[in-house]
Parts: sequence; structure tokens; C-alpha cells
Amino acid sequence: MSALLAVLWKDLAIEWRSRDRFAAMLVFSLLVVLVLYFAAPPSLDASRNAHVPGLLWVAYVFAGVLGMNRAFAAELENDALSALALAPADRGFLFLGKAAASFLVLAAVQALGAVFFALAFSLELWPVAPQLALVAGLGGLGIACAGTLLAAISVRTRYREVMLPLLLLPLLVPVLLGAVRATTQLLATGSLPWPPLQLLIVADAVYAIVAFLCFEYVLDE
Amino acid sequence: MSGAVVRAAGLSKRFGPLAALQPLDLTLAPGETLALLGPNGAGKTTLLRLLAGLARPSAGALAIGAEGASGPARRGAVGLVAHATFLYAQLTARENLVLTAKLYGVAQPAARAAALIAAHELTPVAERAVGELSRGWAQRVSIARALVHEPRLLLLDEPFSGLDPGAAERLAERLAAQRGGERAAVLVTHELARAVQLATRALVLVRGRARELAAAALASPAALEAAYRDAVAALEAAR
Amino acid sequence: MTAWKRATALLLALLGASWAWAVWNAPLDSVQGVIQKILYVHPPLAFATYAGFIGAALAGALFLARGGERFDRFAAASAEVGVVFGTLMLITGPIWAKGTWGKWWTWDPRLTVTLLLYLTYVAYLLLRSFTEGSERAARFAAVYAILGSALIPLNYYAIELFGNRALHPDNLQRGSLGEGMGLPFALGVFATLAAFAFLLVRRFELGELRAARAEQRANGAQQESA
Repeated sequence: MSALLAVLWKDLAIEWRSRDRFAAMLVFSLLVVLVLYFAAPPSLDASRNAHVPGLLWVAYVFAGVLGMNRAFAAELENDALSALALAPADRGFLFLGKAAASFLVLAAVQALGAVFFALAFSLELWPVAPQLALVAGLGGLGIACAGTLLAAISVRTRYREVMLPLLLLPLLVPVLLGAVRATTQLLATGSLPWPPLQLLIVADAVYAIVAFLCFEYVLDE
Repeated sequence: MSGAVVRAAGLSKRFGPLAALQPLDLTLAPGETLALLGPNGAGKTTLLRLLAGLARPSAGALAIGAEGASGPARRGAVGLVAHATFLYAQLTARENLVLTAKLYGVAQPAARAAALIAAHELTPVAERAVGELSRGWAQRVSIARALVHEPRLLLLDEPFSGLDPGAAERLAERLAAQRGGERAAVLVTHELARAVQLATRALVLVRGRARELAAAALASPAALEAAYRDAVAALEAAR
Repeated sequence: MTAWKRATALLLALLGASWAWAVWNAPLDSVQGVIQKILYVHPPLAFATYAGFIGAALAGALFLARGGERFDRFAAASAEVGVVFGTLMLITGPIWAKGTWGKWWTWDPRLTVTLLLYLTYVAYLLLRSFTEGSERAARFAAVYAILGSALIPLNYYAIELFGNRALHPDNLQRGSLGEGMGLPFALGVFATLAAFAFLLVRRFELGELRAARAEQRANGAQQESA
């Protein structure tokens, strides 16, 4: 447990000093949205907002992929990843520490991203902010859990920047599906539907448990 | 030997078809320092990483510290100084030590870090980010890092590289002082004089095969060099 | 080829022939016509695909729990053969869809999910080839296969949750098989799974032989340079 907090503090302290991961995630996610916007400009009628939740989550997912890559690139410097592997702590808790740090950084990006979306697409997000935060949190949790485990794998393969999205994106589809549906209905009706939340919770639980148990095998060299 | 720090039996490592370490039996008692000698690529680092618990042995049994300790408990008995410093460049020397103390479950991490900074004369760099430090200072922090939890077994991979003569001498004194104590050490080095100065035993590794030298070999650098050459030649000739 | 392999290959050929014969003689579907006969091929291929993927995950879990490179080689063989059957499934499916629905592909949940799973295992094979050091590659692959296999129930759970707007016929709806269609279908499942098992074993043996030869070579190289 103390190992969890130590790793969490360490990752956040490193992030706070440079803030480059945060900045890169935010800018990259906004760029993805801009590119998608130019590729398929939404029309100006009422159906225009139908694509917005999808765009929002595409931005979040790409921010997450970038963030996970960075979180482990920092561990490769001076081979600090080996130092983590050496620690006598239960490695599941090391995983939770790293996942929690990535989750918090992603949450900050998500919050700013939501503000940007609200301004750009004139959405009334403020009245549904708590529900939106819940959906974003559940989605972010899934991204952080699966992403942390797979980033620990992909940083030690060839073409590591390519490998992470290749491994992670297919696994994020259930998370993405639940999150986009929940967000769509939330923006349309102002209330949260239960089935997509159910899917999000189940997917989060599955990924968190598998990753907690498997991190042991990933950390060895 | 019941009180042994290291008990390895048939320890071996293969990477696919390549045998990085042939089955090795090794027992280290408290207070012993084993010099690990051999040409590049002989498997010295592999053996060190196996002992540290970083790599999984392909076969064989390994116990370190308490009888039957495995997994986290076994890793907790080991301190490793490797080629890489294991330090986070963005954190200060003190923060790195506190972090390590927390990861190893040391009581009062801040106090432990402060004690190490004093003992290892790191005060001038304690509050500086490790990324800004010279190789020599970073190496000294790395050595302090390996000792945070008072490990039963200290593993050193070329610890003198990058140290200035003064720091190297103080490290040597520190290692010499632990001879006869509770701790055992394994020292990988190319400097035979250091091995003579610090080691109580010497093991030569060539292409994954090991041979221990007679105690008399550690009498002087010249004697060690002769014994080392013979051992390398014998291991090369074997098979 | 040893005797038993010749025997199993012969058996497999017989099985395939009787399956073809049964499909040939099966009654024509009153609505879909001859294109319906793909359904004697396509679902069995899907079963074999899933078997390959689940086999890779199980063998991976065994490798993590017990160690032993043979589990890893089995996982690799299982995923590879699974991807081959998956490719055939993804070829036969659209042919039927073109004949029945009038288009090669629809973004039907079941289709999408199956394509997704297929891509996951292609990523698995890529991961295997992009990881250096066989022991680590094996561990990473095992972890990914386990995580990937969690995708199967999750995806079907998602389909359940969001209602059946699926075009794809339910897999095991026996009622959809008309009079005289049961036997060729059962034969198809049996023959395809037998072919899958045969290829899996052969692919596994190939991995064993490769490992043995690599070891021989390594020993030879060591001897030469010594």
C-alpha cells in the first residue's frame, strides 16, 4: 500500500516538474479533433452534435495512448523500470500506483478537453458536469488500467510508439462503446442511462483485475 | 551452511537456444565478498540480475537471506548497483532516496534518506535533480540507493566506473568495512587490484560457465592475474 | 510422415469428402438459394477461430503459472492457426452477405466485434515478432492473450446490453436449419474442428522442431568458436 502511494507521488511529482506529458496529451488530443473535423465537417443542422461525443472520446483515447507511452518512457531513463521491478513490494500495488497517476493526469486533460468542446460546439455542459465527470472517470479508468499494463509491455518491444496503440485500441472498444453511448444520451436527455455505465464498470473491473494480477509477469526483464 | 546469505543450486539461464549461464552452485556466507571476473559477455551481468531477482532463472533453486524467502521477500534482501543508476532524473537525490526507502518499506523514510546523505557525503547535491548531476555524483547516489534498506546481499556491477579516485577509495573502504559483518557482496569488476583489495573469494565466468579460484589467488594482483588467465584458458578449452 | 499422421490425414480427407457430399446433397434453401450453402462452412470456421484464440489464452495462462516453453509454443501455434481460420471466416462471411444482404459488409455488432477480435490476435502475433528475448516475448504474449480473451465476453456483453439490432443470424439457433440441413452442418463443424486440431498439432510440432534445431545450431556455434 505504501508502495502504491510512493509510486503515485513519484509519477505526479515528475509530471508536475515538467508538465510536458500533460501539455503533449492536451495538444495532441485537440489536434486529433481538428484533423477529424477537417476530414468530415459536421453539418450545421441539428444532427451536428450527434458526432460530438464520439469526437470527444476519440480525443480522450488518443490523449490516453500518448500519456501511457510517456509514463513508461520516463521509467526507461536510467533503467528505473528495473528499480521498480527490484522493489520488494507486491507488484500489483506498483501497477495501481502507476495507473492512478496516469488516471489523474488523464482526468486533468479530460476536464480541459471538455471545456474546449463546450466552447467550440456551444454545448451546455455545466448542468450535466457531475454526470459527465462520472462517465469520463469510468472511461479514463479503463484507459488507465489497460493502458498501464500494455505500456509496460510495449516500451520494451521494437517500434514501441507504434506497438501501444496497436495493442491497446482494440481492447478499448468496449470502454469506448460504453462511454460514447453514455455521453451521447447524457447530452441529449440530461440524464445518465444505466446499460452503458454497466458496460463501463464491468470492463473497468475486468481490466483492473487482469492487469493487477499480470503486472507481476510484465515487470521482469 | 545454514546461515548462508546466498544459496544457489543448479541456477541457470537460457535465452531461447543460448545458454547465458550454465548450471551454477554457489553459497555465500555473511561477511564474504565474491569477486566476479570474466571477459565481456561472459554472463556476469546475467548472474547478477538473476541474484537480484530481476531475471527469472530457467532452472535451479535460489534462496537469499531467510530460508525459503521467495518473491518480494527475496528481492527485499538484495541491493543492486548496476550500470544504469536506477534514479529518476527529474527528482532530487534526496527524493530518490526517500522514494526508494518507501518502496522497500523502510520505517521513517525521510530520516533514513537524511542519514544516508550524511554518511555518503551527498549533502552538496542532495537537493539537486539527478539529471543535472555528473556521472560520478549520480553513481554515488546510486550506491546510497542500493543501501537504503540495509540489504543482506549487495550486488555491485562495476561500481567504481565514473567515480573520482577519492570517491572510489571511500567506496572501497566502505566495502572493506563490511567484510566479516552480516552482509555478503558480489562485486563485478575488471580491476584485479580492487578484487584483491576487497574480495574474499573469486569466481571466473566464461561464456556462462563458472570456475572458482583458489583462495591463494587473492594474495596479490599478480597472483590473481595468473590464476584468472589459467581459469579463462581452462574454461575456453572445456567442451 | 509417421503412420498415425498418415492415418489422421486420411481420416480428415474422408471427413472432408463426406462433408462436401452432404453439403452437395443438402436441400436448396427456399429463400436464399445456393448461397445458403456457405453456412455449412462459415460458422464452423468461426468456432475454430474462437477455439484458436481461447487456446492461446489458456496456454499463455499455463505458461505464466507453470513456466515451460512448450506452453508458449502451443500458444503461438494456436493463435496462428486461429488467425488462418479467422481469415477464411472473414472471406466466406462477406461472400454470403453479398448474396443475401446485397453488400459485402455491414457494421453489424457481431461482425464488428469479430473483426475486432481478429485484429486483436493479429496484434498478438505482431507483439510476438516485435519482442526480443524469447522468454520475455512469451510472457508478454501470454499476458496479452489473457487480456485479449477477456474481450470476447465483454464484446458479447455489449451486444446483449445494447439490444439486438444485429443482422447476423444467431450462432446456435437450431431452428434456422431447415429439414435435411442438420447433418451437413454437424459434419461441417466436426470436420472443421478436426482440421483445426490437425493443423494445430502440426504447427506445434513445427515449433518444437525449430526450437530443437536452434538449440543444435547454438551448440554447434559454441563448439566451433571454442
